[in-house]
Amino acid sequence: MKPTPNPAVTDTARSHDGPIETDAVIIGAGPVGLFQVFELGLLEIKVHVVDSLAYPGGQCIELYPDKPIYDIPAVPVCTGRELTDNLLRQIEPFGASFHFGQEVSVLRGEADGRFYLETSKGTRFLTKTVFIAGGVGSFQPRTLKVDGIEKFDGTQLFYRVRNPAQFAGKNLVIVGGGDSALDWTLNFVQEGPNKAESVILLHRRDGFRAAPASVARMRELCDALEMQFMVGQVSDFEERDGRLVAIKVTGGDGVTRVVPLDMLLVFFGLSPKLGPIAQWGLAIERKQLVVDTEKFETSIPGIFAVGDINTYPGKKKLILSGFHEAALAAFAASPYVFPEKRVMLQYTTTSPKLHKVLGVESPVFD
Amino acid sequence: MTHVVLDSCIRCKYTDCVDVCPVDAFREGPNFLAIDPDECIDCAVCIPECPVNAIVPEEDVPGDQLGYIELNAELAKKWPTITKRKPAPADADDWKDKKNKLAHLLR
Repeated sequence: MKPTPNPAVTDTARSHDGPIETDAVIIGAGPVGLFQVFELGLLEIKVHVVDSLAYPGGQCIELYPDKPIYDIPAVPVCTGRELTDNLLRQIEPFGASFHFGQEVSVLRGEADGRFYLETSKGTRFLTKTVFIAGGVGSFQPRTLKVDGIEKFDGTQLFYRVRNPAQFAGKNLVIVGGGDSALDWTLNFVQEGPNKAESVILLHRRDGFRAAPASVARMRELCDALEMQFMVGQVSDFEERDGRLVAIKVTGGDGVTRVVPLDMLLVFFGLSPKLGPIAQWGLAIERKQLVVDTEKFETSIPGIFAVGDINTYPGKKKLILSGFHEAALAAFAASPYVFPEKRVMLQYTTTSPKLHKVLGVESPVFD
Repeated sequence: MTHVVLDSCIRCKYTDCVDVCPVDAFREGPNFLAIDPDECIDCAVCIPECPVNAIVPEEDVPGDQLGYIELNAELAKKWPTITKRKPAPADADDWKDKKNKLAHLLR
């Protein structure tokens, strides 16, 4: 399930060509960041969500999409993916805007009391409140560990495909055994605008984490001599006139072979890095943001931290603790957004006002 | 709290764990890795990466290895940070099932 961006909001921002002005920015679209949307939504606080991944779910999707979670209250068992999908369904009424595939690189206070945020893609926000739900940091691609090869990063060595046309007609070596490696292999082998001149898939063993159907299709293409599959690991490379011309592949048989190429695509999965959060002037203890347990507010008023990224006496890194933190942080944020308004606790079961916010019918009780 | 590298790592040092650490808390010695308790944020991402299950949260350290809590803290102070995986020692596989390897620890 994909969240649908609110086109009105994105268009308005684009036409103004200035920072997006909003009530709240949530950094991180993991389970706690998503539930933060819900809690703020009930209080009618409008939000934008930023995440470094191209999709919502955070650790639940990146580390354990298909593994069972047993400690969500009233949900005896669900997978990381199911939890994410359910949260997305739950927050649908609130029309949050999502900004994926970008990290927040700048966060600073403005003279008028608001916060200015800027992402790695240049998206800018002016917001009354910030909710850092950054978990263990932003997920970055794991890199190829071959000395010196990093100088080709972005020219001939790639860890993600932003523009498939760049690889059309080229001799490609694709490394990895997961879905990304297999999907791009099939994409570049098949007829179409992005068809490569040649494709070699390289994986350290003859077994794959990718979907069985993709693996079967890849083997068919090998049998039809449309592409090649090799077992081995990149151990070294050759360059000529500053260009990467070949990699050396050490196979399971111990033999090292030279494989010529134009472009090298590596898909080793992602691992989290805490990133620039430490540089925002917030009180930090062992790289976690110090918050109080009344408001889950950081050392800077108006900036809250929820989920795995925060710390306080007795902190336990549980999704359910993050949900609780998100609820209290939302109430604590309300005075920054609506200074005049007195916010009362209301229940979604009985409050006609919340029914309106949620877009549901008010039930009639006999 | 912190996470702790135990006896199983000695002479194996597979280094799969260092790639995933979000805060670069691993320190490298000649034949063992240590976690800096002042850096570790208990995210537990490294635990499943270790092929020999050498990493546990502090509270799960078995009784006969409690000394490793202090040992990690001590070694982390003098060893350099390691952030990228590297090849394991050539004989790592011969040592991975051996127990009580403390006498082999090089400092």
